Amino acid sequence: MAEKKKVLVIGGGFSGLTAAVETAEAGFDAVIVEKTPFLGGRVTQLNKYFPKLCPPNCGLEINFKRIKNNTDIAFHTLAEVESISGQEGNYNVTIKLNPRFINDKCVGCNACTEVCPVQMPNEFNFGMDNTKAAYITHNQAFPFKYVIDGKHCKGKSCAKCVEACKYDAINLDMKPETVNLNVGAVVLATGWDLYDVTKLDNLGAGKIKNVITNMQMERLASPNGPTSGKILRPSDGKEAKNIAFVQCAGSRDENHLPYCSYICCMASLKQATYLREQYPDSKVRIFYIDIRTPGRYEQFYWKVKEDPNVTLTKGKVAKITEDASTGDVEVTVEDVLAGRKITEKYDMVVLAAGMVPSTKASRIPGEISYTHDGFVVPSYLKKGMFAVGTLKSPVDVAKSVQDATGVAIKTIQSARRSG
Amino acid sequence: MAEATVIKPDLDFVKGVIASGGESLKKCYQCATCSVVCNVTPDNNPFPRKEMVWAQWGLSDKFKGNPDVWLCHQCNDCTAYCPRGAKPGEVLGAIRKQSIQQYSVPGFMSGLVNSKIFFPIIFLIPALILLAVSGFSSIPEGEIKFIKLFSVEAIQFTFTPALIFGFAIGILGLMKFWKDMKQTGGVTSGNLTGSIVETAKEFLGHSRFKDCTVSRDRFLSHFLVVYGFVFLGIATAIGVLYIDFMHVESPFSLGHPVKLFGNIGAIALLLGVLLMIANRFKNAAKVGKGSYFDWLLIFIIFTIAVSGILAEVTRLADKAVLAYPIYFVHLVFVFSLFIYLPYSKLAHIFYRATAICFAKYSGREKPLKTSN
Amino acid sequence: MEKKFGVYICKGCGIGEAVDIEKLRKRAALKGKVSADIIKEHQVLCSPEGLEFLKNDIKEGTNTLIIGACSPRVKTNEFDFPGTITERVNLREFVAWTQEPMSSDAQSLADDYMVMGIIKAQKGDLPEPNILPDLSKTILVIGGGISGITSALEAADAGYQVVLVEKEAALGGWGAKLYKQIPREYPYEKLEEPIVFSKIKEVESNPNIKIYKSATIEKTDGQPGLLDVTIKTNGTSETIRVGAVVMAAGWKPYDASKLEHLGYGKPNVITNVQMEEMAKKGKITRPSDGKEAKKVAFIQCAGSRDPNHLPYCSSFCCATSLKQAKYVREKNSDAMAMIFYKDIRTPGQTELFYKTMQNDPGVLLTKAEVTGISDGGNGNLYVEADNTLLGEKIKVEADLVVLATGIVPATRAPQEYLDGLTEAGKKGDVAKKEYLDNTPKPEFILNLAYKQGPEIPSLEGAYGFADSGFICFQYETRRTGIYAAGCVKQPMTIADATEDAAGAALKAIQCVEHVAKGIAVHPRAWDITFPDPLMIKCTSCKRCTEECPFSAIEEDEKGTPFYKINRCRRCGTCMGACPERIVSFKDFSVDLVGSMIKSIEVDEDEFRIIVLACENDAYPALDSAAIKRIKLNPKVRIIPVRCLGSMNLVWVTDAFSKGIDGMMLLGCKYGENYQCHFIKGSELANYRFSKVKETLDKLQLESDRCQLVQVAISEYDKLPQMIEDFVARVEEIGPNPFKEL
Repeated sequence: MAEKKKVLVIGGGFSGLTAAVETAEAGFDAVIVEKTPFLGGRVTQLNKYFPKLCPPNCGLEINFKRIKNNTDIAFHTLAEVESISGQEGNYNVTIKLNPRFINDKCVGCNACTEVCPVQMPNEFNFGMDNTKAAYITHNQAFPFKYVIDGKHCKGKSCAKCVEACKYDAINLDMKPETVNLNVGAVVLATGWDLYDVTKLDNLGAGKIKNVITNMQMERLASPNGPTSGKILRPSDGKEAKNIAFVQCAGSRDENHLPYCSYICCMASLKQATYLREQYPDSKVRIFYIDIRTPGRYEQFYWKVKEDPNVTLTKGKVAKITEDASTGDVEVTVEDVLAGRKITEKYDMVVLAAGMVPSTKASRIPGEISYTHDGFVVPSYLKKGMFAVGTLKSPVDVAKSVQDATGVAIKTIQSARRSG
Repeated sequence: MAEATVIKPDLDFVKGVIASGGESLKKCYQCATCSVVCNVTPDNNPFPRKEMVWAQWGLSDKFKGNPDVWLCHQCNDCTAYCPRGAKPGEVLGAIRKQSIQQYSVPGFMSGLVNSKIFFPIIFLIPALILLAVSGFSSIPEGEIKFIKLFSVEAIQFTFTPALIFGFAIGILGLMKFWKDMKQTGGVTSGNLTGSIVETAKEFLGHSRFKDCTVSRDRFLSHFLVVYGFVFLGIATAIGVLYIDFMHVESPFSLGHPVKLFGNIGAIALLLGVLLMIANRFKNAAKVGKGSYFDWLLIFIIFTIAVSGILAEVTRLADKAVLAYPIYFVHLVFVFSLFIYLPYSKLAHIFYRATAICFAKYSGREKPLKTSN
Repeated sequence: MEKKFGVYICKGCGIGEAVDIEKLRKRAALKGKVSADIIKEHQVLCSPEGLEFLKNDIKEGTNTLIIGACSPRVKTNEFDFPGTITERVNLREFVAWTQEPMSSDAQSLADDYMVMGIIKAQKGDLPEPNILPDLSKTILVIGGGISGITSALEAADAGYQVVLVEKEAALGGWGAKLYKQIPREYPYEKLEEPIVFSKIKEVESNPNIKIYKSATIEKTDGQPGLLDVTIKTNGTSETIRVGAVVMAAGWKPYDASKLEHLGYGKPNVITNVQMEEMAKKGKITRPSDGKEAKKVAFIQCAGSRDPNHLPYCSSFCCATSLKQAKYVREKNSDAMAMIFYKDIRTPGQTELFYKTMQNDPGVLLTKAEVTGISDGGNGNLYVEADNTLLGEKIKVEADLVVLATGIVPATRAPQEYLDGLTEAGKKGDVAKKEYLDNTPKPEFILNLAYKQGPEIPSLEGAYGFADSGFICFQYETRRTGIYAAGCVKQPMTIADATEDAAGAALKAIQCVEHVAKGIAVHPRAWDITFPDPLMIKCTSCKRCTEECPFSAIEEDEKGTPFYKINRCRRCGTCMGACPERIVSFKDFSVDLVGSMIKSIEVDEDEFRIIVLACENDAYPALDSAAIKRIKLNPKVRIIPVRCLGSMNLVWVTDAFSKGIDGMMLLGCKYGENYQCHFIKGSELANYRFSKVKETLDKLQLESDRCQLVQVAISEYDKLPQMIEDFVARVEEIGPNPFKEL
């Protein structure tokens, strides 16, 4: 057999990791290209998975271990694909490696963060707190190597970190580099972004402090989040004990996202458990159009519904206002089954915001066509190119894993065809 | 436990609503965004969400004596926010059309008037009537005086019965409607006179339109059209007084109070109708471009306004060849407006007023909200 | 391999400032019984210079390295020296970052860790893979429905031989009974022709796929790579050897005869399956009189989402009824299709399909709780429903009612039967016999000739679905090399099933490739070690055969256990279970850990607590706490284990008889939502732990001295305090009296 062609996986989130690891464990070489400084993607920002309520870092730890123990997997972080040309068996890919300003000598001691004078909004926590320009997102991040944000860092004029680093790990002169790869197959796994809820002008996001997104809720509940896991509302840090969840915030709405985002029903039910577990006297009300808990997820729905402090009401919230004096949030909805319009006050409101394929905003170069909503249609892809997970349609982690494992066999077939 | 209500879905009703400008009807998936963003709906049993599902199921009975479809002012806030493009505003418009058809006597007339197929015919008939009244006259000679074409008596004897017909049929319809509302709505308490006064006040102030968000500008256009007609009506009435009792001969001089009233009314009407057209185009993307039913009325009003003004202008410019035919067209459309009053969209003046009044009378609606 | 030791202490990352390296060297040499000369220190071992320093020693023959530096979770590339035994001692996270620098506590902690590392390296050995001969790489696919066909085609396309076994006389399964199919791709607007037919052609013409129709599996024996499968076709049996299995046995519609309350049994009440058949034949008619149906009512969740029937959602029925509503409308434009739903569930982009199907004058939908179906005369029916969008209580006439029945996985009947058998067995032999005599035996799928039963064991709360218990790892079953695909696993649409089936085929391929190299499969998919028992000492107590979560250990005629090594996942549960302590891996054994425990310095005035930490979750959690610089109690000594299931009770005896004051066992969550990567490991540890009391009683020690805690990787913020509390409890009890002995 000729030399085995590598498989390029664009995106190091859970789908991409799975595709790469599964490909490699079947005996083929995989290279992951990840845009951010760390692997793991969206799931690293989650507190728990539904319906098991288990921590995402548990599965990530195993997958990172699989990567550490497998010489057939390579990865680049802070890497962007600039061009893809060629065909199955012979794709030429140009990758731009953005500078991390910290090299492999980094031991993860935190000295650079300690001395860094620059505060910047913490994107990992959706801007709910600040971080230093020299940082690591969280203590289970992989690779466990710090990064300096080039946009915020004051550069050589400051260089306090360079002085503080005992391991010669910081190089503020680092420049972008270009890597050229020749691969046999390409897996597109660039994942999803949260819908920009400020576009929902009637729901107050961005204007009303105590209206947050479901992803912000994940960060609030996470032990490695901005409040160390305490669910406190942004306006005054008060314990948020009475929360409304607004389902389909952007989803199933042709003015925004015409499709259903799949995960939001389960996510809100799950987040209801965060609150109920944290504050025994807390109350949750979920406003929905249809509760979508397919398969055995139904059981999770029943379990949450059983809690007398959790109410589910059919009706889409279409108006949210703020009580400026208290910071409370007023929600107006029609309780469809009762046929009544109600307005209620809550400590905080969580918008179950939808999923947007990352390719809606940033296309992957290389003859790929997209739907109006930015999704990739598998059958339109060139031979030797495959899309996984949320790039094709909104799905949860479980389905992404099934899909990414399924795509791994396609990469093997592709390698076999061209090998 | 309560007995189950037997539901009888009627596919033809569904198709009827769809054909009447409610083509988006079936897109609704009952999220109730519409009921929430609607600023004119009562909190208890709000519309238009429930009307949407009733119409989807073809439950025509539910629309018998239903005041809610008339409480809707088609602000189209619902349509703008509807996540499915179901355009509840348009659908309710279509249902109102169905409702007019249901209550106007004879019922088929409304169908004829609002059918595209009969578009030229519905104007041809009044034209023929008026031609007959004019004695198939050719264009008169000399100084342009429209009474040369139609004597004051001729006008009075054709237009007064037309107007009375229009109103009579309309009132007949509204009485049926009132009865149905009382039957289905169940009056709890109420002060009828007070409700009528409140309704009149509301109408005069156009206060409900101010609750619209997306198409707030409709307030002005509707206001102008309504008061345009009011001024024109007053001008006509006073004119009749002058002619009949003070024996002043038409045309009135430009400085005459009757002319003044009339011209202000005409300009208001024209401006109003132009604004309506402009708004329809401006908001088309958000709320839909409207149905034939809507456009027919706009077309009639527009033609009345334009032909009225042009008739006056050409008369003053002494262009007889133009002035008389234009005046004729003007009369044809005014006549049409009158006789089709209970069948066209204009019938909403009966039903909407009745519905609002009933809503107040029955306690369905709280006393008028103060806008702001 | 003759070991040449090298012990290295890194002084970076604060280690040099936290402990006296000189003292540490002396202590390590003394207690670890190595020459002080081989214990070297370096400023920064992971730096290029440090690595050069290590590589030079390796060049000069050092092959067993004990590196006292950072956690083994980091710098894995740097400290990867193939062909050596490299033992990482976590001085940074567990000492330098979590202890008072230069305290005697920190010093003794570092001493103990270093010594344990040396002992581990001394006791351990370089592993070599165990590769069995005559391995097959053929993939067996059970089930010729859309999932099975897809798995077969995918595996064949990847270059593997495939055997496809279908119970029915023809391939295609339910997918072949469809009139039309729900669209799978954007814009999700048009019904598709069933895809299964072209796939059947492909599979039947593929030279690498051998098909058995009207066939069942009579017996599956052996282990991955060496599975001998007996296939019964038309009365004749044939045994073939395969490497791994995809189980795509599919589903059955829920038994509609149980849905009498929804009118099933009345002539004009049919199921969605019957609707497909009817649509395929032509017009939609009423069974009672053959008249064309004009008012068709679809009752969603007929059996599904119902605690009395199927407590889960069957996932595809909403889209299916929308599709069938289209049939009704396409075949007769005057007909109405009325859909009564609990929630419309068209997740993801299927929403676009809902939107399109809904936009039809004759498709009527309402949320409703259907309370019954009554007769309306002339064969017509009344659908009675509460809480609808049309009113609180309504009745609607229909001339045909379609029940959107859900799915029951083919695995359910055998699993329930076997679960019943187990239950009966617990009550004694009489009850068991009675059960066997009186319970009709359902059709089995795998018929495994395995110690722990003929089918894949039930997953708690899964209602017979052969699902994975993990979110992140969708192809886990408790039978290595057997991967479930399609609706046998979860209710899914054809689009989802084809993706899933491809994934299952890949896992099967990985399995045959891994066993060919002697490597374990997930979750230790790099591990070439394997359990190697010292059989001479085996007493045939069979604890290992019963406890192995994967049924990897069989018994011969005499009842002596033996390994089917390719079924083994290397969790070490057998090692933990064995009372004779005879099971060992090259780098992990009862003796190895026991020796580490025994090496811990026990001072009369000091409390010493041992923490056995699951290396998958608890250990990373402790590491993560250290990264946050959360102080760890200095009296605690942490020893990682492969899985808490590998915990052998003798370690408890070892520890306490040596004078250790307390022992904390950190494992993953067990029970229905288990997080144990070996499924049963932590649960078995807990079972064994229940016997710890006996052990402690024997030693006349308080049972509170030992505690098992379920901890998740995310609980790093709480874990140090949990340890703190435990230490306080032990201190309250007082020192272990054995200390003085």
